[in-house]
Amino acid sequence: MAEHITAEHNSQAVHGDGDHSHDGHGDTRKEYYKVFFFLLLMTALTVIAAKIPMPGKAGSIIHVTIGLIIAVLKVAAVIWIFMHIKFDNVYLRAMIFVPVFLFFVLTFALTVLGP
Amino acid sequence: MSGLSLAHEPVTGISHGKLGMWVFLASEIMFFTGFFGAFIVLREANIDLFTHSAKELNMWLALTNTVILIGSSLTMALSIYSLERGNTKHFRLFLLISILCGFGFLIVKTIEYSTKFGHHIYPSTNIFFAFYFLLTGFHAIHVIGGIVPMMSMYARSFTKKGFHNVNRLETLGLYWHFVDLVWIFLFPVLYLMFPSH
Repeated sequence: MAEHITAEHNSQAVHGDGDHSHDGHGDTRKEYYKVFFFLLLMTALTVIAAKIPMPGKAGSIIHVTIGLIIAVLKVAAVIWIFMHIKFDNVYLRAMIFVPVFLFFVLTFALTVLGP
Repeated sequence: MSGLSLAHEPVTGISHGKLGMWVFLASEIMFFTGFFGAFIVLREANIDLFTHSAKELNMWLALTNTVILIGSSLTMALSIYSLERGNTKHFRLFLLISILCGFGFLIVKTIEYSTKFGHHIYPSTNIFFAFYFLLTGFHAIHVIGGIVPMMSMYARSFTKKGFHNVNRLETLGLYWHFVDLVWIFLFPVLYLMFPSH
């Protein structure tokens, strides 16, 4: 029995690991390309938004807010599709998204609510 | 004894190696959060110094590196996709492109650093550049840390035994995407988020 379990799991570990071999999820390549172009578009938007002159404290806050929102979208796309969290267990999702969420809350709070 | 060594963790349903990588990445997020937090607090306290210093950075080189890393994330994902389906030729091709992108990133970063040194800008110049070199330096070390195992897997794919371990490549892929994520955040924070830009 133990040998059976070991053989099964080792087979999964080497050949696609069973947790998200993506079978039944359609052609993931299309999603990869979509994310790639989305990331390029968002990068272009980040640069364009940063080049728009917005003077004063309010302008600074708007710049930072736009930059962070775009960064959040990009990070979410990479984690969700490239890192396959979309196909993973809810506990694993929580383990990753909680620190990422807190990271952005901290960054946003320190920047916008600063002196 | 080997019969007890299950490759998958019973709760998450993923391999121990991959779970270990996720835990490592969570700790890495906290590692970089400390630096980012300190950078942002100091930025707000020295906004004029930071804005003036940020003008010395080359946004276009950083943008080039952003595109390179995004491209390498795509090729890494495609490399995993190919290995899962037993397409060794495409696996090698996409992995090689990922490796070359990693080297490309380091070359651009070297150009950026050498320009700074040429202008007598060092980590000791001011607090902005101390953080600039610290953050980008740590990130570059992470890039090197990804390139080395990628090269190892690429070389092993040419041996008689070949390389077929999808799980190991996926675990490395997680790390490589994380390296991309850190840069996605570093780019606007260091190069763009200043009032005068």
